[in-house]
Amino acid sequence: MRVDRRTFLELLGSSTAYAFAFGCSDSTPPVSEAPVPAPMLPETDHGVRYFVDYTEWLLIHRDGSVTAHTGRVEMGQGLATVLSNIISQGLQLAPDKVEVVLGDTGRCPDDGPTEGSSATRIVGWGYWRACERVRDHLVERAAAVLGVEAAKLVYRNGAVVGAADPSVRLPIGELADGTVHVGTIDPRVPWESSTRYVDRGTPNVNAEAIVTGTLVYTGDLFPGECSYGAVAEPEYHWMLSKVSSVDIPAAVATPGVEHADRLGRTAMVVGSTYRSVQRGLEALAPVWTVPKRPKELRVEAEIREGAELKRMVEERGDPAAELAGSAVRLAETYLTQYATQAPIETETAVAEVEGDRVTVWASTQAPFKAVPLIAERLGIPADGIRLVSMPVGGGFGVKVDTRAPDECAAMARASGRRVKLVYSRAHQIVGLARYKEAVVADIASGVDGEGRLVARTLDLYQDEGYGSEETYAIPHVLTRLFRTPMPARHGTMRGTSFVQTCFAVESHTDELARALGRDPFDFRRSNLAVASFGPLLDACAEGIGYGRGGAGDGRGIGFGICHHGGRQLGAAAAEVRVDLATGAITVERLVGAFDIGLVINRNTVTATVKGAMLWGLGFALFEEVLLDGHRPLTRGFGDYRIPRFSDVPEISIAFLDNEVKTPAPRGCGELPLIPTVAAIANAVTQATGVRFHVLPLTPERVLDGLRNR
Amino acid sequence: MTRPRSFALRVNGVDRTVTAASDEPLLWVLRDQLKLTGTKFGCGEGECGACSVLVNGEVYRSCMVAVGDLSPGDEIVTIEGLGQPGRLSRLQQAFVDHTAFGCGFCTPGMIVTAESLLRSTPHPTRDEIVRAMDDNLCRCASYPAIVEAIAEVAGDDSTGEG
Repeated sequence: MRVDRRTFLELLGSSTAYAFAFGCSDSTPPVSEAPVPAPMLPETDHGVRYFVDYTEWLLIHRDGSVTAHTGRVEMGQGLATVLSNIISQGLQLAPDKVEVVLGDTGRCPDDGPTEGSSATRIVGWGYWRACERVRDHLVERAAAVLGVEAAKLVYRNGAVVGAADPSVRLPIGELADGTVHVGTIDPRVPWESSTRYVDRGTPNVNAEAIVTGTLVYTGDLFPGECSYGAVAEPEYHWMLSKVSSVDIPAAVATPGVEHADRLGRTAMVVGSTYRSVQRGLEALAPVWTVPKRPKELRVEAEIREGAELKRMVEERGDPAAELAGSAVRLAETYLTQYATQAPIETETAVAEVEGDRVTVWASTQAPFKAVPLIAERLGIPADGIRLVSMPVGGGFGVKVDTRAPDECAAMARASGRRVKLVYSRAHQIVGLARYKEAVVADIASGVDGEGRLVARTLDLYQDEGYGSEETYAIPHVLTRLFRTPMPARHGTMRGTSFVQTCFAVESHTDELARALGRDPFDFRRSNLAVASFGPLLDACAEGIGYGRGGAGDGRGIGFGICHHGGRQLGAAAAEVRVDLATGAITVERLVGAFDIGLVINRNTVTATVKGAMLWGLGFALFEEVLLDGHRPLTRGFGDYRIPRFSDVPEISIAFLDNEVKTPAPRGCGELPLIPTVAAIANAVTQATGVRFHVLPLTPERVLDGLRNR
Repeated sequence: MTRPRSFALRVNGVDRTVTAASDEPLLWVLRDQLKLTGTKFGCGEGECGACSVLVNGEVYRSCMVAVGDLSPGDEIVTIEGLGQPGRLSRLQQAFVDHTAFGCGFCTPGMIVTAESLLRSTPHPTRDEIVRAMDDNLCRCASYPAIVEAIAEVAGDDSTGEG
């Protein structure tokens, strides 16, 4: 169900609705129109799309409480906390007066999927700026009610009061009346706030519910009052294979199974318990068509063969000529692995279908993307469909394109029951195959007689994404993206393609320094594209104790720098110990320094940043989905190793803000993992004297490198 | 699969009767019949620890425990039995104070496992905490804060490196 303007006003009752839009400041949408999904601006050079022409809603109720709406979701990044903090401080209200409604297509505007580290930056800070306008408007309205000049009134603690006479007081609930459009807010335009946001370090708003097990995730809805559904997990990559035969009678004969049928390219089973539908799937015994064997990822020449130039990412100067004429040249190839998001909560949905009216509750990062998919799957109009996003038990990108909502809706309609679809762990990893894509990166750099980087070419071979990495000041650059059929298709995964590109560029930069006989830290420091990286690198060197000796013979320190999402900058340092006999790597310390603008809540941001750095550790050392052609061999946590307690080093982090004048949050959910991967790889090189060009740095790979050194 | 029959279970100090096949995992009985949804399904293979519960004080993966393998006298404790909103246990409060979670999905399993550790070893070293918790997975990787939260409850004895 999409909320149109009329329904929305009916929902209001006797509240005031403050509507505001994020977008270009010269294109204020008329308030009388229903909010429409945003036409997207072209991708920016940093890969984040801004949505324009949509409207956020902030309601002020008669009792002085407020409700804010956003189509973004809570997935552990702390958005509910951040919005509660921002709105309660922005309107000077007690936190319990602020309600935040997230990701319900029946109640919220479509302000984009929760991805790209953008929710706090765009929605959160948009609300801060909106609160300022709402305060001004309330003062104006109070002035009209009281018949005094607005200048004689001030906004204070949820009321408009006389500046000189505090006995004059109008609580905001009494000023509530009608709908007000307070204008358009462009998150890209720097803006000076008249008030200062102060991080008070409040606990996560869901903390009590989380620690008591009472936070309701999708799978916790309607316990004992749903049928379970299951989808047959494809044997091969799901886009390249389909079910050719299934034994539906055998599945239906399985105890507890209520319904079984084909479902698009795959097949489904509905039954009374989770286990009965898993058994039903076994009885279904689907046979899959066998796709043509793809190129071999580990044979780089095969990957390059027949690749098509998809995009010139960057073109500047004459890198070919400059490379040929440079004092020192170095050309290398780097290769990264397939990795999977592996949230602990598998993709989950609950669906109820009554004719053309459909309600789906789901663990999704993009509730508004699910609605047209449900409409298409069921062949019904989208306006009868409501998607309610529940707290997401980990998304990391995989739940942007989840198909569980539409699959579940199909099951509910086919079986005539309320169905809960909970993906098995193997289905989560094998069946979806929306992996972080493997990338082959050919990189060549040239340095002049003074040790300055003068030219670089970077050719990336991958399925889809792109990586631009402008961390160093290089006058002659060519970055090209080649598309080539890969063994698996890519999906969204935390850090997207920045991780792979940063690993290649930062490993290469280190190697270039070594070729020049320069210290890798100093070489980086003297070639930076953005001066703001300097203090970040210095903080990392200081924190990790760089230059105090102890390197070599199995111990090493490495650095990495990156940018992400526009103006987020990050640097990381790692100290590792390598067992030269076994090839096992222990990360002993991680230090990160990040320039992410204003911190809204130090508790949620610290949890996110440290966790992201540990993602860097996992990607560098062991995370890998193994494929046999198009067939994923990795099936669960038994053979997909993610970071665990015993992997955790000492981690220290610092936030540096170089834009103190106009502080605003810039996002940080993905940034910290990106340079951490490269820092670990560079530390391993310092420890062993061997450059590793292929991730992950498994003991076998390290031993191999040590033998060949 | 066996025919469903009724089982007497003692959960969070209350006697309950459930009807299930004897090989039905305790996880689904807790969630669907007793509506104790704090115990989570993460993998169904005993690999992640999200479904951890206490049986007579020891940690078990409820996805791997068949309801028929339990004895009538077994004391089962789930996250709901350790504290409630407004009446948090010390350990739960420490998880809140240290923001020892991201999305929170693995948290009940973490707290149940830590509870078992602290019952058997009230003052574990950090190494002992890591060893006891190591089979519980958190994809948000809130591990550092979880160790801090447990160490705080464990008291001064745990501040050393063990």
